[in-house]
Order: sequence, then structure tokens, then C-alpha cells
Amino acid sequence: MAKIKIDHRKCTGCRLCEMACSLQHVENTFQPSRSRIRVFVHENLYFPVIAGPYTEAACNLQHVTMVDGQEFDACIFCRASCPVKPIFKEPDTGIPLKCDFCGEPPDPQCVSVCMNEALVLVEEEENKPQEKAG
Amino acid sequence: MDGWVGKILRVDLTTGNCTEEDLDLGLAKKFVGGSGLGTKILYDEIDPNIDALSPENKLIFATGPLTGTGAICGSRYMVITKSPLTDCVTSSNSGGYFGPELKFAGYDMIIFEGKAPEPIYLTVFDHQVELRSAKHLWGKDVPEVEKCIRSEASSPWEAEGTKILSIGQAGENLVKMSCIMNDTTRALGRSGVGAVMGSKNLKAVAVRGRKGVRVYDSQGFKDEMHAFLKDMQEVESIGWKARFNFGTWVIIQAMVNMRMLPTRNFQAGIIEGVPTPPEMREQILVKERSCFSCPFAGGRGSRITDPEFEGEGEGPEHESYTMLGPNCGITDLAAVTKASYICNEKGMDTISTGSTIACTMELYERGYIPEKDVPFPIRFGDKYAMVKLVEMMATREGIGDLLAEGSYRLAEHYGQPDVSMTVKKHEMPALHPQGYQGLALSYSTSNRGACHTKCNMVFGKRFEVEGTAELVKKGQDYTALLDAAGACWSIYSATRYLDDHLVRALETCTGAGYTKEVAMRTGERIYNLQRLFNLRAGITGNDDTLPRRILETPLLDGDNEGKVVMLGKMLPEYYQLRGWDKSGVPTPGKLEELGLTEEGGLLWQK
Repeated sequence: MAKIKIDHRKCTGCRLCEMACSLQHVENTFQPSRSRIRVFVHENLYFPVIAGPYTEAACNLQHVTMVDGQEFDACIFCRASCPVKPIFKEPDTGIPLKCDFCGEPPDPQCVSVCMNEALVLVEEEENKPQEKAG
Repeated sequence: MDGWVGKILRVDLTTGNCTEEDLDLGLAKKFVGGSGLGTKILYDEIDPNIDALSPENKLIFATGPLTGTGAICGSRYMVITKSPLTDCVTSSNSGGYFGPELKFAGYDMIIFEGKAPEPIYLTVFDHQVELRSAKHLWGKDVPEVEKCIRSEASSPWEAEGTKILSIGQAGENLVKMSCIMNDTTRALGRSGVGAVMGSKNLKAVAVRGRKGVRVYDSQGFKDEMHAFLKDMQEVESIGWKARFNFGTWVIIQAMVNMRMLPTRNFQAGIIEGVPTPPEMREQILVKERSCFSCPFAGGRGSRITDPEFEGEGEGPEHESYTMLGPNCGITDLAAVTKASYICNEKGMDTISTGSTIACTMELYERGYIPEKDVPFPIRFGDKYAMVKLVEMMATREGIGDLLAEGSYRLAEHYGQPDVSMTVKKHEMPALHPQGYQGLALSYSTSNRGACHTKCNMVFGKRFEVEGTAELVKKGQDYTALLDAAGACWSIYSATRYLDDHLVRALETCTGAGYTKEVAMRTGERIYNLQRLFNLRAGITGNDDTLPRRILETPLLDGDNEGKVVMLGKMLPEYYQLRGWDKSGVPTPGKLEELGLTEEGGLLWQK
């Protein structure tokens, strides 16, 4: 199964992934608010986040994540589109957005423009049995 | 409408009226956007003879059609206004995220006119426009202003998504080399544009938008993006890896190698002790940073641990390091980086600031500045004096008040205008013109005064005079085009290879019929219009010159030994190629050819 591996340390915040994604999904248009990947820029840290499944309920817990010694609200990195999170929703209709790997076979446009390899397409076998040591 | 989003926001600061206007598509095609369309609007709407700091001046923030698209390194924006430093029309350019966000908020351009009765800032959220009091922001430096505005947001996403430009204390204090900063560390840097904003009591602009930018030929545009990315990986002269690893520091090394590093107020082209790019990376780099749509990531997130100059920020870039460092006789990276941070925080152009301090040092050492005027000795090589003077300039404290007027007015005040290393009162940047004839010609003829970003860097042989005028003319026209389109000068002018990419991106984006010929002619039109503005403002061919030292006193080192600039040979040829008369005025024939007859008519109307 294809997955997009994210290495936030390699991301430099150019947001070309957002642009490639929106052009793929919105006719003739560059529109990051409709992209299924978003890069959050925080001083020297950049966090690409890919839209995951929609959930009808919001979390009732607040999570704090430590990244490189700084505290962040984990909500920011959460991939879900949920009632309290305004991103990963169509801005006009509120319809949830979800990454579709740009079709079948997977050809994610975000990965194709990521020159610094912060985004890499990897194949992972499902339910792969644990390899035994020795 | 493709490329352009089709709306202009006009803000009358005097009355507080904000109005939305439709973009004139015909004009947009003719002048593209950015500095092109901005200059056209300024030309039509203001008298070039007004005081740049009066309410009659206008401040135009303009994107190009490529801004906010996926055009590689094509998402910059510009500010166009009459400069208080030079009295010329100026167009300062910046990257970061502000320009694209303005388009996503629904505007190609914001025009500010008049003067607000008290400090205000503007918010633009998806066509919702509001002027708010900035009394609580006045007096604050740039990072504080951004933090303050973000703290008013209702959620972390809203805070993060808001892109802000602002002035620091230097702009408020009408410092003539103050800049406008966006995204904390990016600068609309040169010509004192921050002072124009300060004179209007405008402290900041915050934008956020969810709209999109349409392109004409989606598949063609995408193909062009990938063609660029492929070339970037394969063509070494584009310099991707070097830029990623070392940013503009590679230029410092190149200038050291060519002995073209301005040293001690341009008295030499080399100094001992300049750190190499790997040493700089090792000592201060924290993170490679990109602008929007730029995979090169040449921005330098940096940190100084030296307790004397502790701090965190971005840069210094090649220009900042050289002008605040070697040009002041200093090589200490920590001190120069600190000075560059202060410039970013207070909102000051590092080039003019460094050059003005260097000019002060030379004036002082030669005994032209009396002791009673200075709070401490100001000598070349004194890093403490340099850092202190940067702060004094931003607040206009003591002699800082005089330095804040720029090196020309400073040197003139002490009766020694030749000590100012300026063209049209605009400080020369960190590439020594005596090492490159073409560079010297471009400095002398540039429409905003000496500038490295208003001509292509590909000039053929360094010391050859023949053929140079033609290369400079072409380079200037091309640069005018890329400034109008929203493309990055640093990337697109570094190698000849990228002009085809620029034209393809522009055409697939707009569908406006930009062939290479049309595009270059458009650049020439913009360049001539800027020239017309300056002529009407009283800047003439007599100002197309260089400091006397550059023309008369040979350098003593390396390949440059014995070289002065052969301006007298190059300039007449340049005027002729431009279709200008002997005094540097565009001929009616040339203006007709460029579709500028009406604009030219104003030149002869007194």
C-alpha cells in the first residue's frame, strides 16, 4: 500500500506541494485553501500535514506535542478533518477534503514537486508479518 | 481572467475610504503587473515633482500574474512609490508569503494614498477590508508588531495563515533607508520605502485569503513547472545545491575570488579574514528557508551564540554581510549578523545602512567630521561602533539623525559629496563596479540609482567595453519584465538559461500572447516609463554617472589592478542603443514604438 512519508526536518516551507495539489484537484486553479496538504510554518520549523479521514466528533482532550524542544498544540498536526478544525474543508461548502494520492496507481503531485525529499512515496505491505530476529 | 485576479484595492488613508476597482486588462497586458503596472499607475496619478514624504505620494503594493501560482521562484511582490532617498521612482521587491496571500485574499494590488490622521493598520481577509487603530503598535519593532497582530486572531490557524507586512521604528522615524518588512525577515528593502509608509501613519498590512489564482493553460503551466524543476536538478549553472547549502554566501566567496568585495567604503576590493561559506554555515546556520514556490531555500535561519552579539533571526545575506562588514573594515561574523538582525527588526536597508556607516568612518578618519559631532571615535574596523550606529540611525539619536538621511546628504553636509558611494543618492551594493565594466554601466544608468537587482548578472567579459552596452540594455529590459511578472531576480537572472522558462510560465499563466519578443519589448516599455518618471522629476542624463573615485582612482589588487570604469566610452553607445538622445532622453520615435507616446507627452508639458 502506498504511503507518503513526511520528514519535517527536510521541509523548507516552499509550499509547492500545496500548489501542485490544488492544481490537480481544482480546475486550472492554484488555491492552497483547497489543497489536501498544508504546510504549517513556525519560525524555523515546517510541518507538512496531509488530509486524512473526516471525523464527525472533535476530540475532547487537549494534546501537546513537543517538537525540537518547542510545545505545539497537537491539533495542528492532526490529519483529520473535524468539526472544530477549519482546514481540510472546502472553503465555500465545508465539504471535507481527503488525500486521494492523485488517483490509481498513486501519483501524488505533492511528492513530484518536493525537491528536498521532505515528501517521499513509499510502498508498505499491509499486515506484513514481523520479521523474526536471528 | 487568468494569472491576474482582477481587482485593485484603493485605500484613501486621509478619509478612511476603501474602494475596490476592476483591473484594466488591457493595461495589465501592456505593463504585466508588479513594478510595471505599479509604475504606470504612479505615473498617471502623481506629479513626479512632489515631496516623496508628502500625502500626495502614493504607496502601491503590487503582485505579478505569476505571484501565488506554482511558478517556480515566481511568487514575489513589489512596492512602487517615489523614493525619499533618490527622488526617483522606485520598486522594491520581496519574497516570503505576503504577495501570494494578497492574491488569495482577492487583490492584485493595493494602492495607498493620502495620510492617516493617526497610526493605523489595514486588514484584508477575503475581500473584507478594515482600517484599525495602530496606536498600540506604534513604536514597536517588526517581530513585535507581527506577534501583536497575530495575538488578535481567533484560532491558531487564523494566526498562522495571516501574512503581515509592517514598518519598524526606522520607517516611523522617516529614516531615508528604511524598508518595509514582511514575514518578519523579508524586506522590500531599498530606497526608503519604509519612510513613505511611515509618513502616511500606516504601520502594517495583514492579509489572509482562501481564494485561488486561475491559470490559462493548466497542463502547459504544469509542464513548465516540471521542466524548470528538471533543469534545476540537471543544469549545474543554476546552482541549486550551492544555493541550498550556502545561500547568497557563495557570492561573497566569488567576490573574494575576483577581488570585488567592497572594502572600507569601496577603497579596496578585498579584505583579509572573510569567513568561507562552509565556515559561515558551521557558525550560524540553523535552517534553510524558502520563499513561497521556491525550492532553492536560500534563506538562512541563523543564530549567534557569541554572548556579545547574541541573537536569532535570518541572514545575513551577501549584501548585508559585505556592506555592514568588509565595507566598514569588519569581518567578524557575529557582529555583522547582529547588525543585520537590528536592521531587520527596526526595518532598515542593510546596504544603504552599511554604506552610510562606511562613509561616516571615512569622513571621520580623514578629519572631515569634527570630534564634537561624534559620541565616540568612528573608525574602520570598529565593530562596536558599527553596531551602535545602526541603532542610532533607526532612532535618529545624535549623529544617527544625520546618517539617517543617507550617505550623500551626510557627506554633502560635511562638504565632501565625493566620499558618498552613491548613484542618484542611492548607495552602491556589494559588488565592486571597478571589477566589472558592465556592472558599472548598469549602476550608473539604473532607474532607481545604483542597484544590483535592476540588470541581469550575465555580462560577458569583465573588462571588455565593446558590446557591454547592448548586454546591459537587454539585461535591464529582462529584469524589468521579471520584476513585473513576480519572478525572483536572484534565480532568474543568475544564468542566461532561465529566460525561456520565465516567458513560458508567463504565457501559460495569462494567455496574453507573451512571446519572447513581446515579453522583452514589454520589459523595455517598463524601463522607459520609469525613465520618463525620473526625467519629469528632474533626474537627468547628468545623473547617469558614478562616484568620482570609481571613475578615477584605480584599484590596487588582483585582476582589477589599474582598472577604472570606462563610462565615457560605454554611455553614448548605451543611449544610442536605447533610442535615447545624447542627453539620455527617449526620442519620440522610440516612445511611439513602445506605445508610450501619451506618457512621453507629459515630459514636454511643463
